[in-house]
Amino acid sequence: MTADSAGTPTETPEGAADYKDLTASVDLTATPVAADVPPEIIAQSFGQYLRAWWSSIRGGNSGVLTVVLAMVLVAIVFEIITPEHAFLRPSNLVYIFGLSTVYMVLAVAETAVLLLGEIDLSVGAVAMIGGVIAFKLVQQPGPGWPWWLALLAALVCCGVIGALQGLLTARLKIPSFVVTLAGFLLFSGILVVILGGADGTVSVSSTAPNQRVIYDMVQGLIVPAVSWAGLAAVVLVAGATLWLRAAARRRHGLTAPPVSLTVIRILLVALVGVAVVLICTMNRGTPLVTVEGVPWVIPIVLVVLGVWTVGLQRTRFGRYIYAIGGNPEAARRAGVSLTAVRTWAFALCGATAGLGGILLGSFFFGEYSTNTADPGQLVLYAVAAAVIGGVSLFGGRGKALHGVLGGLLIGGIAYGVSLLNLGELATPLEYIVPGGVLIGAVLVDVLSRRGSGSVNRV
Amino acid sequence: MSDLPMAANSGQAPGGPADTATADTGLAVDLTAAPEAAEADVPPELLAQSLGGYVRAWWQRIRGGDSGVLPVVMAIVVVAISFEITNSKFLSPQNLVNLFEQSTVYMVLAMAEIFALLLGEIDLSVGLVMVLGSVVVAELVQPSGPNWPWWAAIIAALLACSAVGAIQGILVARLKMPSFIVTLGGLLILEGVGIIVLGGTLVGIGNSRFTNEVVLYDIFWGQLGPVASWILLAVIIAAAGTGTWLRDVRRRRHGLDAPPRSLTAMKIVLMAVAGVAVVVICNVNRAHFGTIEGVPYIIVIVLVVLAAWTVLLQRTRFGRYVYAIGGNPEAARRAGVSLPSVRTWGFILAAMTSGIAGVLFASWQVSLTTNIIKTASSYVLLAVAAAVIGGTSLFGGRGKTIHGVLGGLVIGGIYNGLYLIGVSSQWIDVVVAAVLLAAAIIDVISRRGAPRQT
Repeated sequence: MTADSAGTPTETPEGAADYKDLTASVDLTATPVAADVPPEIIAQSFGQYLRAWWSSIRGGNSGVLTVVLAMVLVAIVFEIITPEHAFLRPSNLVYIFGLSTVYMVLAVAETAVLLLGEIDLSVGAVAMIGGVIAFKLVQQPGPGWPWWLALLAALVCCGVIGALQGLLTARLKIPSFVVTLAGFLLFSGILVVILGGADGTVSVSSTAPNQRVIYDMVQGLIVPAVSWAGLAAVVLVAGATLWLRAAARRRHGLTAPPVSLTVIRILLVALVGVAVVLICTMNRGTPLVTVEGVPWVIPIVLVVLGVWTVGLQRTRFGRYIYAIGGNPEAARRAGVSLTAVRTWAFALCGATAGLGGILLGSFFFGEYSTNTADPGQLVLYAVAAAVIGGVSLFGGRGKALHGVLGGLLIGGIAYGVSLLNLGELATPLEYIVPGGVLIGAVLVDVLSRRGSGSVNRV
Repeated sequence: MSDLPMAANSGQAPGGPADTATADTGLAVDLTAAPEAAEADVPPELLAQSLGGYVRAWWQRIRGGDSGVLPVVMAIVVVAISFEITNSKFLSPQNLVNLFEQSTVYMVLAMAEIFALLLGEIDLSVGLVMVLGSVVVAELVQPSGPNWPWWAAIIAALLACSAVGAIQGILVARLKMPSFIVTLGGLLILEGVGIIVLGGTLVGIGNSRFTNEVVLYDIFWGQLGPVASWILLAVIIAAAGTGTWLRDVRRRRHGLDAPPRSLTAMKIVLMAVAGVAVVVICNVNRAHFGTIEGVPYIIVIVLVVLAAWTVLLQRTRFGRYVYAIGGNPEAARRAGVSLPSVRTWGFILAAMTSGIAGVLFASWQVSLTTNIIKTASSYVLLAVAAAVIGGTSLFGGRGKTIHGVLGGLVIGGIYNGLYLIGVSSQWIDVVVAAVLLAAAIIDVISRRGAPRQT
């Protein structure tokens, strides 16, 4: 476990502080240091970085590489085998993102709890409760709340639900598996109750100005010009942040990546951004009816990802989560309040799940019923997405980005299978393929780790 | 391990290491000389020599946090009383039989899950393995299809399920993949496989023109005649009573610790009273028209599964290994237990038991549809809930097969009772959740008083 925790927070100030202490007393050329400090931190040139990265992959710490490779593979395979090679059409790619949204957001929510070494089986039910609450509150006639207040209320409700489950887990030390299993049953029941019975529905209109905002969260599009302007702003801000942070670290004599690496990172962000906007701004309707522009859901998911990444990687709270996941007893002795951090993590997981539920309703054209999704299946997919993305089930290893990529992979596979016109086999394969991918992902993980000898999972 | 630890296991929560300690202290140390030292390690029931001593020892153990089946029995009593107050039909013979029938699938699935839980693992696939078993058995007896005899279809279904369990077990035990993930993947895959095996949209076993379908149908819906019920009860009580009595006599003869005669007699009488009560209830005519009376076959089936797995877990070397691994895998490994093979067999047995549940499920549902398969993923959660409500620990090493049966009865009782008073199904989930949470809280709080903490 110690080797494990040293592997994850390579960029956290603690890691850097350790390194500073070491350099203060030990000569760097003396080899033993390399054993404890991740090689990326010692690397000073771009070439060294690449070598360090490669050695960490060979050591079993592949990060997002596995899931990215899997996505490329899935894209190529489906592009080849789908009729008319339709998989990579812009319209399908945009649709896949919408379909994957709920898995991505729920997987990010689940990641927060998995990092603690806990599990939340209730995210699916809590998400759908959040969606139904938000939808109900904007009903006209009905409460008729403004959309932002309804969203806020839904997220707060889900956060409170999460906090209650977190309290039971953290204070009473009831295993989170049992608490959230009970929560799953409880909130699945309550969901049907607030929907108004097994065949109750609630929907938001695409025309009423207030409800339209919620309808548009997944269905709405940003016009091409604004899309490009938004991209420019995002790349500018992200680039400036990356650059200034690296510069500040260099100025203060902390370890920092070489300038070339910073530039490459910024270019990569810009490149991916341009590709996404390019795909989204192609006309994917008919020549008569134009459908173009970046769907709102992409910036929404990016915001969720950004908030969680900053929260987990750059705040004290995030470091505490990793510390508890790595070794709870060590964290406790270091003065971390296990109860508070755990409760907050469950609360934030609940709130994030609530947002996922609202997006789910929006994806289904603003309509919510008990048939919208099966809460039990949602949570299984969320856990599967997080694990496929690279989050460890045993705590302390994983990032928000892993959840997003895992969710996208699962959504892509699900949609690709549905494109195949398999007739009777279509439904079963929707279950079999994600299950196979899940087992395959963990199998690869386990086998790659076997060579490294760094971690043993029991 | 010699015979001593096995014998010492007669009524207590089995803890591998404690058993050997018992034997050692019992042989080497004079019991009256150092009561404190001995009592610290040896469960008090082993030292008790009289009935009074036994009752006191039992009470002491409950206060020490090792409450065994007591909470779940109390839960059953509370459920029974509260539903009887709201609807006087609840405790009528007709409804009690009905309630038991509704609980059987949960009971058997919980017994399956207990194999995984005792090992400190979890099997999320039991619900879908059950579905696989039910679809296989129903498909194989179709006269228009394979037209296998019913017994061959059942054997094939159990084998298919065991094979699934073996694959999952090997992935968990040999490749050291987390069981949560393996069986979660298994759940998803089996959901698809189930739909494929089902082929069309529906397969049924309700056609009374074909003997094979009739036999399968009767597994759940058939019953022994009243006279046969009494005869069977007499045979069971005679066999079980003699077995218990002879074992205690043999233990006394060999100078091993054994319960006093009064306790042995009381156990046998209790068994007989419970058996008579069940048969009396079942022999009441419960049909609206005509006669349906006698003990349903499924009661016998559940009892057979319960007895077989209880013996396997409490009285065989394999069972002791399961508890040893659940309690402390590293200690078990150093003691020479082969972790991979015991774990693999644990998963195989779990899957096979799920297959038995599958046969019952097919018989219960009469016809299987794609929709039933799609909703089956919630069965595993109820199975885990039943096991935990019954008193099985999620952390391995603590629990018995009987816990699954009792926990399943609580869940079935809640479903049945709420349905009787006209509560809609969503509230039933809410109540089951509350009971599960209560069971977990009781477990945690009761363990807090206990000295041994994990």
